[in-house]
Amino acid sequence: MTLLCVGLSHKQAPIAVRERIAVPAEQVEGRLRQLKSLPGVREAMLVSTCNRIEIFAVADSRDAGEDVLETLGPVAAPHAVRRFEEEALRHLFRVTASLDSMVVGEAQILGQVKEAAAIAQQAGALGPELTKVLARATTAAKRVRTETEIARGAVSVSSIAVQLAHKLLGSLDGRTVLLLGAGEMAQIAARELRSQGAHELLVANRSPQQAEELAREVGGVPVSLAELPSLLERADVAICSTGAMEAVVTRELMARALKARRYRPIFLVDLTLPRNVEPSANELENVYVYDLDDLERVAVQNSDLRASQVAKAEEIVEQELKAFLLASRERTAVPVLARLRAHAESVARAEVEKTLASLQGLDEKQQKTVRAMASAIVNKLLHTPTSRLRTEAGRGPLGEATAALFGLEAEPEQPGEQASSEQAQAETAAEGAVLPLLRKR
Amino acid sequence: MATILVHIALLAYTAGAAVFLTWLVRPSPGLVRAGRMLLLVGVVVHFAAFGVSLGVAGAGLGVKAWKGGELFSLLAAVTVTGYLLLDFRYELPVAGAFVGPFTVAVMVPAHLVHSNARAIAPEVSHSIALFVHVGAAAIGTAVLALAFGLSVLYLASERQMKEKRPGRLFARLPSLDLLDRAGYRLAVWGFVFLSLAIATGSLVSREVTGSPFPLAPKEGFAVLAWALFASLIQARLVAGWRGRRVAMLVVAGFVLLIGTYVGLLSAAPALRGTAA
Repeated sequence: MTLLCVGLSHKQAPIAVRERIAVPAEQVEGRLRQLKSLPGVREAMLVSTCNRIEIFAVADSRDAGEDVLETLGPVAAPHAVRRFEEEALRHLFRVTASLDSMVVGEAQILGQVKEAAAIAQQAGALGPELTKVLARATTAAKRVRTETEIARGAVSVSSIAVQLAHKLLGSLDGRTVLLLGAGEMAQIAARELRSQGAHELLVANRSPQQAEELAREVGGVPVSLAELPSLLERADVAICSTGAMEAVVTRELMARALKARRYRPIFLVDLTLPRNVEPSANELENVYVYDLDDLERVAVQNSDLRASQVAKAEEIVEQELKAFLLASRERTAVPVLARLRAHAESVARAEVEKTLASLQGLDEKQQKTVRAMASAIVNKLLHTPTSRLRTEAGRGPLGEATAALFGLEAEPEQPGEQASSEQAQAETAAEGAVLPLLRKR
Repeated sequence: MATILVHIALLAYTAGAAVFLTWLVRPSPGLVRAGRMLLLVGVVVHFAAFGVSLGVAGAGLGVKAWKGGELFSLLAAVTVTGYLLLDFRYELPVAGAFVGPFTVAVMVPAHLVHSNARAIAPEVSHSIALFVHVGAAAIGTAVLALAFGLSVLYLASERQMKEKRPGRLFARLPSLDLLDRAGYRLAVWGFVFLSLAIATGSLVSREVTGSPFPLAPKEGFAVLAWALFASLIQARLVAGWRGRRVAMLVVAGFVLLIGTYVGLLSAAPALRGTAA
């Protein structure tokens, strides 16, 4: 089996491409079922955020990668990256630890990966192998957050948006913030703006009920999205995250609002894919439109994150990765060892019973001594092979040689035998068997 | 004595400019405090030098001649004063990095390069109108120079914000809103002093030439600059103009005002006496 990762992120494709292949939240489950039905694909998880659309899958061979890529559509193909086995594993670890993020060190990606795993589980696409990998990736991410100062130096996309709002408008006292849609980042940004003095927080949503709920959560005022033209006349900052498939704030709409607002500057922050604000609106006087890629550029320039902290985080990820790989490889020896031990013990047991049957008159204590002696012989005989097989950790020929020498046949895998995700998670915590995922091709 | 004081002021201005420029590269609150202090010391000593000069001349209103250097020296002192007031109100150290070098650039030729004394027409050598004209023109020019500086900063900052490529100095620049508001307010005050300078200048001109608005480059540029600032204020009040287009108008207005000084220094001998 092979772990593969197919997809693209903000590093490979501009926002104009990402917005065309973005998978809306409500379609993720369906997409996962489609992936699971592909020949050779056993498990799959889709991480679809504003900055990346990546599929992590466990497949019978690398060939499945092309089929998986096809599900992303022709637009993705020229930009997509295919990663396999250790490379795919490293990528997942780095993504989860926020080392591959637009803003290195931001905290949201860990939650997004966990959510992707939860959806995959719900869709029945998450199996034991991916679960184990994810558990270790999460451990690495948590270590990175607690053992480095990466998060301290990091600035989230939303905080960059707030910084830019200050740069444009100065003090936010008395300013009006318009929140369009209910995206998580947009909510965070709106809360930050509110906490920094924004006077009024208007919350607009397609569904009035959702607008009311969200307004309650963020301490804003619910308004109707139908009033958008007049809302754009009032707002000083508009944060857009509606999830609509087309632009909600068009250049024409903004041009009309601009006249009515007597050219007061407005900051439009577009935090979603596909973009909700027509990029050409930025050409209007006193209108400043920033999408995710723009915020990334600013973040990169503003970031005072110490390179040493990033290096330390990378080191932790490598440590965890190596530990995971080693544990996986060690576990490859376990089935052979287990079968060898079972075989030896069964032979010894049979011989002991035969011997005891022929030796009449032995009391219980004496019988116990004979059994202990047989067990000790088995242990002594197996001691060196066991330690050699463990040292080889599945990388050498001894495992297969042992199986061949002793005639140890692998037990056929039962279809219903696949461990549940929860069981697998528990196994991972106890360093369970994960080798096949990474070794066998 | 006055010359020594002016040299001390120039030294303080130079040190202040250096400190503010250093702040641009390595920002620290200590540097801002030091820069402000140096400019303050410079301007106090500078005005003391003016006081000594006027005392030597016998009386402020009895000046018989003027030098181009003195005019620019006065402009420099008023500009630094204006900056310190502006900084007190808005905290704009980045403008200090503009005003400091600007002051030195104006002061060095004003005091280190020799300029000939020019006679002031006897009809106006005791005129209050001339005194007010000179004062208003100096204050107006200084205030508009600051407005020009803020407008240049606005245009630079706005460009970076629009192009989404903040440069190294982006973090040091104040908000666009502050630059816009402060620049506009300064433009309004500059316009007020410019109006006063033009009005009193026409009185002086009538005394000397018989015509309140002689057709000369100095007056022409002054009126053009005044008209431009008047339309700018009108556009802001009526149509709500702000931001980039206002900043560009302020820059254009100040360039026209510079034309006034070029006209002044190259004016016909008959008009020299009427000038500051």
